Amino acid sequence: MSQASVLPAGFEALAPFVEFWEADTAAGRAHRRDISDEAARLAFYNAANELVPKALEYLDRKPLEQFDESEQRLMRLVLGFAHVAMAVELQREEEPKHARYRPFMRITRAPADALPA
Amino acid sequence: MTTQVAGPGAAPSEQELALGTGPIPAGPYYRPEYFELEREAIFRRTWLNIGHVCELPEAGSFIVRQLDFANASILITRGKDDVIRAFHNVCTHRGTQLTQETCGKRATFTCPYHAWTFGNDGELRAAPDMDRFYVDKKDCGLPKVSVDVCAGLLFVNLDPAPKQGLREYLRPFVEQWETMPVAKATTFSEYVYEIDANWKLTYDNFQENYHLRFIHPRSGGGGAVGPDNPFGYPVGYGFHGEHRTQTIWTNPAPKLSPAQLQAFGKLVPALMQRGLMDHPYGRAYYAVFPNMFMIGTPTQPFVHYVMPISATRSRGVIRIYWVGDDMNASERYGREFSMAMARDVHSEDRAVIEAGQRGLGSGALEHIHLQQQEVLLRHLMHHVDAKVQAYKAEKAGGAA
Repeated sequence: MSQASVLPAGFEALAPFVEFWEADTAAGRAHRRDISDEAARLAFYNAANELVPKALEYLDRKPLEQFDESEQRLMRLVLGFAHVAMAVELQREEEPKHARYRPFMRITRAPADALPA
Repeated sequence: MTTQVAGPGAAPSEQELALGTGPIPAGPYYRPEYFELEREAIFRRTWLNIGHVCELPEAGSFIVRQLDFANASILITRGKDDVIRAFHNVCTHRGTQLTQETCGKRATFTCPYHAWTFGNDGELRAAPDMDRFYVDKKDCGLPKVSVDVCAGLLFVNLDPAPKQGLREYLRPFVEQWETMPVAKATTFSEYVYEIDANWKLTYDNFQENYHLRFIHPRSGGGGAVGPDNPFGYPVGYGFHGEHRTQTIWTNPAPKLSPAQLQAFGKLVPALMQRGLMDHPYGRAYYAVFPNMFMIGTPTQPFVHYVMPISATRSRGVIRIYWVGDDMNASERYGREFSMAMARDVHSEDRAVIEAGQRGLGSGALEHIHLQQQEVLLRHLMHHVDAKVQAYKAEKAGGAA
C-alpha cells in the first residue's frame, strides 16, 4: 500500500506518523507517548495540530462503524494526538519526569477500544 | 446530621462539627495494628462501590472483583430473573475458586476441581456422585454477599447482615445521584493504580485543594484555583454523617491549552445533545465514607475509589462514566482526551503521596497538622477512629 492511501485524501501529511503513533487501544496510545522522545512528539504535534480539527470534521460525516481501513487509521492517529498534546502543551519540559510516574496509572478500558481492528 | 457551609473560603467551624482543631495522630496512617482494626471495623462491614450495572448488561453477565483487604474474590451476577446477586467466588465443596475470569456471560459456573456446578443464582445445580456426600444439595449454595445499586453504581457489603441498607447509607445523595449522568451510564473509561501508601493518606490527597497550585501547576490547577482563590477554597462544604461534600470553586477565566479548548469544544456539543451538560450538581464533589469520590463535572464525571491492600499499600480505580456509545469521531476524541487529561493530573499526585508515606512510616512524627480547608481530612479521620474505637469496645464487651 502506498503511503498516500494509508490515510484518506487530504491527510497524507500524517502518513509518516502512522507507523509509530497509531495504536489500537487507549493504553497503547498512552504507551507510545511514554516511549517517545521530544523530537518525535514535536514532529507529530506540529504536523497534526492543524489537521486534527479537519480530520474530525471529515470523520464526523460517517457513522463510526462505517469507517473504512484508512478512516479507522486516521481516527486512531487523531486519538493519539490527544495523548501527545498533553505532553507538548501541558507537561512541556516536565514531560520526562511525568513519564516516570504516569505508567503506574494503567489504562484498562476506553470507549474507543471497541473500535474494530 | 447534615451541616452545610457556603461562601468562598468559608470553612466550617471545626468546633461546630465537634472535630476539634488539635493535631492528628500519625500512627493510623502507617501502623499495621491500626489497619487490622480498620479492616474489621470499617471495610468488612461498610458498603463499598466496586462497579456499575453497565458491566452486567444482560441476563448471565457476571463480573469478579478482588477485595484484597478481605483476601476475597467476589462474583457478581445478573440472573435470568434480572436480579443482581453477589457471592464469594468459592466452591462450597472444598473451597476452590470457581472462576478465574474477570467478566463474561454464563448461566452456570463449574468448579475446575470436581465439577460442582452452580447456577448464576448461586444454587448448586449438580455435583458428581452427590449421593455419597453427607449434605443436601440445597444447603450447598454459594456464600452470599450483600449487593445493591444506587444511581447505577454497584456496592457490596461483606457484613452478612448490614446495619443499614445501601439507600439508607447514601440517603443524603440518592436523589441527587439519580439525576446525574452516572445513573444512565452505559460505558466508561478506566485507569487503575497501586501505590505504596496507606488508603487514608492516598484518599486525603484528593480531599483538599491546598496542594493544587504546587503539584498541578501545569495540568490541573486552572479550573479550581486562580488569582481570586489561589488555594482553591471550595465555595461550600457539606457534612452528612460520615460522608462529606465540597462545591468546587469555578475559575471564571481558566487557562486552557489550545488542544484542551478544541477537545472540550468537541465533547460539549455531544453532551448537550444527550442533555447531560446542564445539571445542578456539576461542581459537586462527593466523598462517600470510607473510600469513594464522585465528581459531577459533565466533561469529566469520574468516580474514584481507594481500596486498602495493607497498612501501607492501596489500589485506586478511576472511572469516567459515559452515557451511550461514541456517537461520532468528535465524541470519541473528546472522551479519550478527557481521560488522558484526568490521568495526567492524577499521575502527578503519586510522588508526593508515596513521599508522605515514607515520611510518616519513619515514625519521626507523633502528629500531623491540618488547616481549615483540610477539615475534610479531619472529618474522615474522626469517623474512622470512631468506628475503630467502637469496634474495640464491641470486642472487649464480647470478651467480657
